[in-house]
Amino acid sequence: MDLYTPVGRRETIKKLLYMGGSILFANLLVDSLPSSLATKLGPENSGFIVEGIGKQKGYSVTQLVRRVFDAAGGIDHFISRGDVVAIKPNISWARSPGLAATTNPEVLRAVVELCQEAGAKKVRIVDHTIHDARRCFAITGAGRVARETGAELVFPRSSLMRKMKIGGVRLDTWPVFTPIVEADKLINIPIAKHHSLSKLTLGMKNWIGAVGGSRWVLHQDINQSIVDLARFFNPTLTLIDAIRIMTRNGPSGGKKEYVAKKDVLILSNDPVAADARAALLFGKRPADLGFIRLGKRWGLGTFDFRQLQQKKVHI
Amino acid sequence: MRVKQLVWLRRISQGFFLFLFLFLLAESRLPQKIFLEYSVVFTSEQDIRISWPIRFFFQLDPLVGLSSLLSGHRLITGFIWGAIVLFLTMFLGRAFCGFICPLGTINHLVSRLKPSLKGDRLIRANQKSPGQKFKYFVLIALLIASVLTLNLTGLMDPISLLFRSLALAVVPSVGIGLSSFFHAMANSDIKFLNYLSYGGEVLLAPIFGYESQAYQTGWFIGLLFLFILFLNRIRARFWCRVLCPLGALLGVFARFGLLTLKKDQEKCTNCGLCSQFCQGAACPEPGNDWQPTECITCFNCSNVCPEHALSFRLKWRLNLNKAPDMGRRAVLGGILAGVSLPFLGKLDGRVEKVSDSRLIRPPGAVPEEEFITLCQRCGLCMKVCPTNAINPTLGEAGMAGFWTPRLIMTMGYCEYTCTLCGSVCPIGAIREISVKEKIERPIKIGAAFIDRGKCLPWSGNAPCIVCEEHCPTSPKAIYLRREMVKTRNGRPLEMQLPFVDLKRCVGCGICENKCPIKGDAAIKVIAAGESRSLKNQILL
Repeated sequence: MDLYTPVGRRETIKKLLYMGGSILFANLLVDSLPSSLATKLGPENSGFIVEGIGKQKGYSVTQLVRRVFDAAGGIDHFISRGDVVAIKPNISWARSPGLAATTNPEVLRAVVELCQEAGAKKVRIVDHTIHDARRCFAITGAGRVARETGAELVFPRSSLMRKMKIGGVRLDTWPVFTPIVEADKLINIPIAKHHSLSKLTLGMKNWIGAVGGSRWVLHQDINQSIVDLARFFNPTLTLIDAIRIMTRNGPSGGKKEYVAKKDVLILSNDPVAADARAALLFGKRPADLGFIRLGKRWGLGTFDFRQLQQKKVHI
Repeated sequence: MRVKQLVWLRRISQGFFLFLFLFLLAESRLPQKIFLEYSVVFTSEQDIRISWPIRFFFQLDPLVGLSSLLSGHRLITGFIWGAIVLFLTMFLGRAFCGFICPLGTINHLVSRLKPSLKGDRLIRANQKSPGQKFKYFVLIALLIASVLTLNLTGLMDPISLLFRSLALAVVPSVGIGLSSFFHAMANSDIKFLNYLSYGGEVLLAPIFGYESQAYQTGWFIGLLFLFILFLNRIRARFWCRVLCPLGALLGVFARFGLLTLKKDQEKCTNCGLCSQFCQGAACPEPGNDWQPTECITCFNCSNVCPEHALSFRLKWRLNLNKAPDMGRRAVLGGILAGVSLPFLGKLDGRVEKVSDSRLIRPPGAVPEEEFITLCQRCGLCMKVCPTNAINPTLGEAGMAGFWTPRLIMTMGYCEYTCTLCGSVCPIGAIREISVKEKIERPIKIGAAFIDRGKCLPWSGNAPCIVCEEHCPTSPKAIYLRREMVKTRNGRPLEMQLPFVDLKRCVGCGICENKCPIKGDAAIKVIAAGESRSLKNQILL
């Protein structure tokens, strides 16, 4: 392009018209495309719920995770090459994995590896722990998973908490753990366990571990706080770890007697449905749990499983 | 060996030991990179330990070993290092002060960097003065008090003092500065600065703490340390010459003149350079008697002498050195002070009668009467505590227990499966316990009580189960009961009300720490019921 001759008035108008015309044309083109192309492809199109059950004695948890993701259409459907993936396990308590207070490290490892195989640029493991984070990382096994897979285990520093607009019913603004919101994809891997106020802590409640601030005041209206946060974080997928569940003395547990072996994994893109299915494992009706009812009311999902594509796999 | 080489040998040694001290200080923390094999730890909780020998300098310090032997009648682990130092001192003089002591090195550095006096005035300042007898007074007072069951040695012991000052004042204050700097960068809208802040924190947080650490009376510890550094402007290594009880102890032990300063009177031109550079005021100039108990073997005098009139020699014949010049006043005063200190210390009744309810000792601490015969107040347990709960006391333990460790639950809490503090205590004032012992015996450090007037559900203000949720024992010591309370307009409202089961409560304080009522929580832990004390039991 010749930069030395001045551009005339006529030339300018002509160029502006070309530009305007092409923008108009591009808009028309996009609008006329079939809507399925403009939105997502595959099973995420609608809600789905996959249940994986380990029936054989000594089955591999890793294999079960892989089978569950395959049944949902494969990890490639959810994670694109070059994505930054944030994984939110529940590793808040410095308890060994067998006590079912924290997400099973084998599940965590399998999901990290799946994301890496799908070509994720970076996989982060993020949780704002309750006990000292270094001790939690060591004792729950998350530290070892991070070291062996090369995933980034983010230390919950207070400098990483940033006040953000939640826009919920109860919570308007709240300090949020930024590495979670600054990721392209978000996978929630909670453990299913007992809780004395919300009755159970499942997928949606796991988001209380993704915020900072004086988060213990959230308990004063726990169900609405859970739903507000779940709406804000809105994960790509929820994988509930119910390999072992804690049935009493939650959420910290501490004894083998409180742990029940269920050998179940629940994967869904509907956070309400995943929680509802997991509630059944405890013999509780989904509609009896406040946060599940509220989650449905605020349009987060459904606990009417007939509206979803249901699949079961077992090994 | 040539003199030049000796001076450089000393400098290298000083640099090495100072670096080692700082390195071990930085490593005195919950290890950052610990990866437990999760497939084998499915049943029991694991003991996490620091792999570096972070107690090394306390073992090397003979005063720490000697005072705990005198007062607590126990040999600390690794006391052999201190014994070796004492043994070598008998032949080589105060080589520990000149070659090893990190506080000595820092004092040396400060007095060398900016001496306030010059020339003749510096020569006069470096003459031996009666003030140097004061350190013997300090030593005698501390040792006699130790014999009479009050161990205050750590207040003045250079290793304890330096560790406490750096760990509780210098490192946290730098940490607070850095973290506010990183916070400002993290809050900026420029992405690059965010990354820079994150990277900076990843690099520096292991040393300066992840969240800003703070300690009760930290400002006072820091101020004293600055004052000790400032004293170097009055006299070079003022602390080492006049105040240090370890220096005094080593001076007393410098009995045999294996290492001697040979003075050649005929070569001397009285230029005074040797005195000008003398760090210990040990009379190096020919014509005076060299003072082996004051000499810290820095080798400066023979190094600077232009006439080569001074030389250090190793004589392979044992001849007794002059006894240290203590003076009668220092000895008598020291005895008097040493006898009165333990009684003065117990006058407030904190040790014998009843302990302060706020005096929550770390898990595994020995009974109070024994504790004050052992604790060096070095701050090692406070430095390693991952939640910043362990703090130096102000008045909670009485005068006798000033700066001994105490848990402040608003600062942190005792993690249920953490046993780090006991594993690092150089003296064993806090026993090394295992997680299994801590949980299963259980080791109680206090008990929690609910203030129903403040508690949100009890006062009918809001549902809240935070204390119960965090309670780590199984079954939980804090339990809930569904009961009716009345709202403001008299309407009945069903609430889950928290209660404490004292049989199960171990006093860990996580309930107090997490209670939404900050600063003065609605549930509070007091020392009553601590398992180390027979007097302080609540339940039958």
